[in-house]
Amino acid sequence: MITLKNISIRQGGFELSGVNFTVAAGEYGVLMGRSGCGKTTILEAICGLRAIKSGSIRLGDEEVSGLPPAERGVGYVPQDRALFPTMIVREQLAFALVLRKQPQTQIAARVNELAKLLGITHLLDRAPDKLSGGEAQRVALGRALAHRPAVLCLDEPLSGLDEELHEEMCCLLEHIHRETGVTILHITHSPSEARRLAGCHFQMENGKVVRDEA
Amino acid sequence: MSEPAKSKYRVASDKPFLIGLGVLAGSYLLIIGAMVLADLVFLNYGDQLILGNERVQQGRYVESAVPIRVEAGRTYHFRLGKNEVGLKHEGQMLAGEGLFKANTYEVQLQPRIPKAPITASLRPEARVIGIALTNHVATLTTDEPHGLLWGQFIRVHGAGAGWDGVHEITDTTTNQLSLALPEATKVAITVELTKPNPLVQALRSRDIQFSIMLSLISCTITTLLSIWVAVPIGYIMSRFDFRGKPLIDTLLDIPIVLPPLVVGLSLLILFRYAPDWLSDSVVYKWPAVILAQFMVACAFAVRTMRVSFDQIPQRYEQVALTLGCNRQQAFWRVIMPQAKGGLLAAATLSWARALGEFGPILVFAGATRQKTEVLPTSAFLELQAGRTEGMLAVSLIMIGAAVIVFLIARTLGMKRIFA
Repeated sequence: MITLKNISIRQGGFELSGVNFTVAAGEYGVLMGRSGCGKTTILEAICGLRAIKSGSIRLGDEEVSGLPPAERGVGYVPQDRALFPTMIVREQLAFALVLRKQPQTQIAARVNELAKLLGITHLLDRAPDKLSGGEAQRVALGRALAHRPAVLCLDEPLSGLDEELHEEMCCLLEHIHRETGVTILHITHSPSEARRLAGCHFQMENGKVVRDEA
Repeated sequence: MSEPAKSKYRVASDKPFLIGLGVLAGSYLLIIGAMVLADLVFLNYGDQLILGNERVQQGRYVESAVPIRVEAGRTYHFRLGKNEVGLKHEGQMLAGEGLFKANTYEVQLQPRIPKAPITASLRPEARVIGIALTNHVATLTTDEPHGLLWGQFIRVHGAGAGWDGVHEITDTTTNQLSLALPEATKVAITVELTKPNPLVQALRSRDIQFSIMLSLISCTITTLLSIWVAVPIGYIMSRFDFRGKPLIDTLLDIPIVLPPLVVGLSLLILFRYAPDWLSDSVVYKWPAVILAQFMVACAFAVRTMRVSFDQIPQRYEQVALTLGCNRQQAFWRVIMPQAKGGLLAAATLSWARALGEFGPILVFAGATRQKTEVLPTSAFLELQAGRTEGMLAVSLIMIGAAVIVFLIARTLGMKRIFA
């Protein structure tokens, strides 16, 4: 569950205030809004990458507004994917688990499991600069899911993909959602993409987030 | 009937652009190459004969030719001046520079312009006429003044085991020079002497050996210190915003903007205020060399590191943070591996800067032989002593050292993480 209560964020001349919304546990939330309206800022606030001025953010039952990003239990896929250029795919998937000092065998098992889920088993030993856009997106998803976060934050995950991949990726996201039961917050600026995805829709307008019941 | 104008679109040829690029880039490269080549060509790599006093007397040409007495059977070194056509020897005209063996008792300088000053040079080879050996010190007497100094090196040939090879001159008078020989060496019957080439002279000299060592060690320490300081400063300046950042930015640039000499002077003045034990152990001692190199080299390393951190998007750190890193882990696991190239560039730059540093070292550490003498100081001291060849030899050693270090750095840098 993601709950934002009375969030206000100030960033240079840009300001958001009184943002409220809730994505229920296990729901697929789609946050829609024009470019530059502050969607990414909200996502970053949830991940703990941007300080909030006031308000509270709850993930599950925990108040996380004071916690560092590492302790929030979120998976974050930025718009540019930001795959670590110095690591092969296998290392990217294992990254969060190595940090948690899990035993080698467990890490290997989890990496294989993720690779199978995302269909990237054949790419495990590739460098990120040798991946196509769709493949990179899958790896970024896998990296964010590795430590079994309760919440997955996706920033425009389908941008920059061609028509065919677009559909494939939608199916994959739905598949992941079903398999893992993770709560997803998916940001997009495209209404058609939002319509294509099931789940609950939120509309961001004039700095406020409204649940789109239609 | 008028033909319709051809409407086919054409672009101008790329040739002028490419030629322009080539000319501009090439001209600079040419100057660099020519500079190094000039140093390499200028040095005489062969051994030189020991030459005695000048036989050409100063003055002006009065009549058509100036006769000079020579000794038949002796080798002479002739150098043409700008007012001569050549040297007449047995009906042949010698022009330019070189050795010849006299067969007559007189040679004649042929002037180019009458009444002009005499500018040529003719010097006889100095022969060894006396050999003495006492307590493993050989004292050689020459028939001409040899012009060599204590501490220089000389090559002995044709004298047999124990004698042949390059020796340091331990003592000199106008016509005598002494060398230490290994024990159990017998007196030689004949000895020939030559001056080894300047590179050998430089490499055998204890002063220059010391300065090579001090240069290599101090540059390496400077580089390590610079990296150690430049990485955190570069990271802070690239990632954090705080009050007074522009001021700090300006402060960091001061060593780049200031003339290096002034950096040395400022350090010297600063250490007037340091406690005695500190200034006594730094100023005019080897730590001053490192500090002087560090002040300048580090500024360049900081610039380089900052640019390379600036080029790594903050997104990587953010993702690493959400995956479970704290800032330190994100820095070591995600940022530093990407900054490797920048780190290498900063290290080579500060090493090169430190190797070439001269002004601040001269002011802050002095130029004491065997104490604070680094390679640029050696070059300066050689030049001051009027030994252009020695200076060039030191320059070549520096070029060689730099080339070797850069080659090592490049090969290490080429090892990509993904083959």
